[in-house]
Amino acid sequence: MINLLALTTPTTQTWVTLGVVAAIFAGSALLIGALILVIGKVFKVDMDEKVTKIMENLAGANCGGCGCSGCGGFAQKLAQGNCSLNDCHVTSPEKKAEIAKLLGIELTDEEPTVAVVHCNGGVENCADKFEYKGNPTCAACNSLLGGNKACSYACLGCGDCKAVCPEDAIKVSGRLAQVDPDRCISCGACITACPKNIIGRIPASAPVYIACSSNCRGKEVASVCKVGCIACEKCAKVCPHGAITMHDNLPVIDYKKCTGCLTCVEKCPRHIIISRKVVAEETPQTENN
Amino acid sequence: MSAFILIILSAVFTNNFITVKTYGICPFLGVSKKTSSAVGMGIAVTVVMVLATLVTYPVYNYVMVAHNADGTEIWNFQFLWIIFFIFIIASLVQMLEMIIRKISPSLYNSMGVYLPLITTNCAVLGVTQMFNGVTSLGDIVTGVGTAFTMNIGWALLYALFAGVGFTLVMIIMSGLREKLNCYKTHKALAGFPVAMITACFICMAFMVFSYIKI
Repeated sequence: MINLLALTTPTTQTWVTLGVVAAIFAGSALLIGALILVIGKVFKVDMDEKVTKIMENLAGANCGGCGCSGCGGFAQKLAQGNCSLNDCHVTSPEKKAEIAKLLGIELTDEEPTVAVVHCNGGVENCADKFEYKGNPTCAACNSLLGGNKACSYACLGCGDCKAVCPEDAIKVSGRLAQVDPDRCISCGACITACPKNIIGRIPASAPVYIACSSNCRGKEVASVCKVGCIACEKCAKVCPHGAITMHDNLPVIDYKKCTGCLTCVEKCPRHIIISRKVVAEETPQTENN
Repeated sequence: MSAFILIILSAVFTNNFITVKTYGICPFLGVSKKTSSAVGMGIAVTVVMVLATLVTYPVYNYVMVAHNADGTEIWNFQFLWIIFFIFIIASLVQMLEMIIRKISPSLYNSMGVYLPLITTNCAVLGVTQMFNGVTSLGDIVTGVGTAFTMNIGWALLYALFAGVGFTLVMIIMSGLREKLNCYKTHKALAGFPVAMITACFICMAFMVFSYIKI
């Protein structure tokens, strides 16, 4: 072993040992350097230039709102043409235009969207299954027998969505969450936070939305909720534009066909197709009261 | 056979790298928010531990400490082990990352991000350092007779199960933290402080194992 003190009066032995150590280090450095170079050459990954350029223009929030694993996955899918630019709700329109130029596609102006809670249950309309006295978060409540609401698709009303909303756009009154469409930026934070998956996106100008998420049959829904969709299909039959189709005991509205005639709103026996114009007008009044 | 079981028990429980030796605290606290990422981190650490042992064990025994045929030392620069091992392990992980990236992009996406993080993780360095100058298996695993001479097979087995122990604690921690997220904690304790308290309880639980005499 090298005696470090001996370095002050170096002997030949010390110099030899030092030389050996230095040589071993230099040798292994050269060897490993060469190995890395060779491996780098052999296992070179051809990065698509397009993808890196798209990545530069994306917001880089890695929010996962597009359904891909982060912005990298989205950029790759975009380059392959497997998804639409409109799936990203975070990137600014200017940056999106640049990406569209890169891809050589037209940026179709899609309307802005807002989040809505597809439930109208609350305390009055949907009974409680049992009394819940645990921690006041939806996630905790949902982990206990799927929450204390009689309907398993009902809003639990503990406000997990409210807690994550960056714009303070969600209000919980009567154990029912509601989104303020004027404040909502459609970031999708509430959609991922909701353990019941009953928050969805609709176009900001949509005239109506469906305030129920229950896939159960009519009889089961009627037994637990006063306002749940009983899948009577009246809305689908009366819609003059054929914009409503039934899917899994729930009406689905095609907003491209919907003209806002509100026939469905009138005919729905459970009043769960809600006209958003009325909601917007009524909200300030209830606040004043 | 008993040596096998003792190595496994020792590496996973009684000498657990996180809770008993307190190595690798950075990934333990940093990557334990979600179970999925904790599992990825654990597997990556296990792989790197085994690979690092595979390379550093011969490097230590044949390059850093050289012997004559009659057993006298020609040179021994064991005191430089940190620099030398960091150098070797870091470049090894670099190569591994390149290879994984080419061969299996899906594996790279799930595990690759953790690899650069743990190039010179202290748990990895710790496991390689354990075998330095050890001639008998009994020196690192209590209860094993001195008849078992240390060789690369034992070293690799120990490294593998040290990684398993690491993964186990990561999974326990991330599960508890995920569960804690569902509950309202006091404002002063929410988030990281309560994670530290959780870590404390896990360590106390693992302390029990160190009193087991085999």
